[in-house]
Amino acid sequence: MAAIIKRKSITLPVALALAGLLVFLPFGSATEFSFRSFSDDGKMHHSLSPYRWILAQPEFLSHLLLSFKLAAFAVLITLLLMVPTVAWLHLKAQSWRPLIEILTILPLVIPVVALSIGAQAAFPSWLQSSEYELSFMYVILSMPFSFRILDIGMQAIPLKTITEAARGLGANWPKVIIYVIAPVISGAVAGAFFLTFALSLGEFTLTSLLHWDTFPTWVTSVSQQNIIGAIALSVFSLAAAFALLLTIGFFTSRARKQSEEAE
Amino acid sequence: MTTQFQASNKGVPRQGGTFIRRNLLIAAPLIPLIAYLAIFFFWPMLVVLLESFKNNNKEWSLINFTTIIRNPYNLAFRNSITLGLISALTASIPGAIFAYVIELRGSPKLKKIIASLSGVLANTGGVPLAFMFIAAFGAQGSAIVLLKHLGIDLYSGGFSLFSFSGIVVVYMYFQIPLMVIVFSPAVHGVRREWRDAAKNLGATPLKFWRAIALPLLFPSFAASFLLLFASGFAAYATARAMTVGNIALVPLVIGTLVDGNVQINQANVGKSLAIGMVVISALAMVPYLMIQKRARKWQQ
Repeated sequence: MAAIIKRKSITLPVALALAGLLVFLPFGSATEFSFRSFSDDGKMHHSLSPYRWILAQPEFLSHLLLSFKLAAFAVLITLLLMVPTVAWLHLKAQSWRPLIEILTILPLVIPVVALSIGAQAAFPSWLQSSEYELSFMYVILSMPFSFRILDIGMQAIPLKTITEAARGLGANWPKVIIYVIAPVISGAVAGAFFLTFALSLGEFTLTSLLHWDTFPTWVTSVSQQNIIGAIALSVFSLAAAFALLLTIGFFTSRARKQSEEAE
Repeated sequence: MTTQFQASNKGVPRQGGTFIRRNLLIAAPLIPLIAYLAIFFFWPMLVVLLESFKNNNKEWSLINFTTIIRNPYNLAFRNSITLGLISALTASIPGAIFAYVIELRGSPKLKKIIASLSGVLANTGGVPLAFMFIAAFGAQGSAIVLLKHLGIDLYSGGFSLFSFSGIVVVYMYFQIPLMVIVFSPAVHGVRREWRDAAKNLGATPLKFWRAIALPLLFPSFAASFLLLFASGFAAYATARAMTVGNIALVPLVIGTLVDGNVQINQANVGKSLAIGMVVISALAMVPYLMIQKRARKWQQ
């Protein structure tokens, strides 16, 4: 018995320590590396100058803003397209749900590289000369996830019952959507929002193959002239991604809690 | 109940609507999504498929496919498949063990933190990850310098981050978290009560594993392995940031073709390579999705 207790108390810490070390090693190294700078005699010391260098680059802000703009647009399309569709699937069109489920998972089956080739071959030049082309494609890339988040979120809520109740009490459809449906699915919507946003911000493959320059692709081009700058940018973007995804975790767990309370 | 509700709805005709007409009216609000997928997903893929069967004179031909089964493309496919398999193998086993330990022993709060962390590493890895590894294990990397101080010179042992094994190591950093994400629900599905029941009925831990846990977990493990294979096989960003064209991988080869380094007689070779990737990826992803769908039934 004592042996069992002892074993129980040790496997988890060992696993966590090992995983922590393995995650910390490159992250810690990169953080150390990102503060490196060299004085005139070639000696290395640590300073903030790589980060100052980043801020001095006019491309830094312009690419960051472009990435944010494209991600925001992708989020907007995703929400306008997916929220009403998934709500309708749950309210009225249950028989169509299996079909839509299969259609929306397909972007996960097709490699992004292959889809990029397709976009380049198929889209008319007026579309390919607009950077919003990327936003339209980000919507496709995040669709397997955004559909599932919304689907699971709405599955947990008796959407049909509460909608019928509101309709029965005399609310019209706009009122039902604003005052009944929107508040109960807010957690799932927030999850889809942040996931699409994070995926769009970090997207590299499609962006680079369609010859656009957003923040992630700019980081790669920076590495060719200033590797320390590129590493500092990587530390910055991974830390930002972590903060963003923690927010997703927070919202989705809140949504789960909400739906548990609803049941 | 249902008919009553539909009768009160303006969107559905009150009288006379045949079954098919009503079904089509119900499907009408789904048209925007289906149209969007058709324009931005199915159409591009259809164009790739059709043009991969056309030669430079836009005539139907198999020339692109006979080209890609020969070198250098053949080698690129073999490299990519090997990379997918090895990175899936090296990531699925530690990932599964880690997921099992966390699910069995971790508190709910810890599980949530691990899930978020895995999400970051699995989804946003790519380029930042590659540069972090250059910072740690490049010739001037912190870990390399640190190890040198301790008397270990990793580079004298022939190690290079910019080699096949280097890529496998870096891929593990998004593959293991991916494994944790997809395999945890399966471990979670092995109910604690089953373990207790087996124990009460006299099963040894070995017997429990052989008769209950492994048969339950194996399909999910196999499915996760397939997903990891597809992920490692098709990954572009990390490989692009890490290699300087010294390792032929299919996504990188497609990348250079897209960048305009096209030989004149091979205008559509990139498209046939893309179709080749789709086929291999689908061979892994379709069984993955089917097993996952079945497994979800008992996991809930």
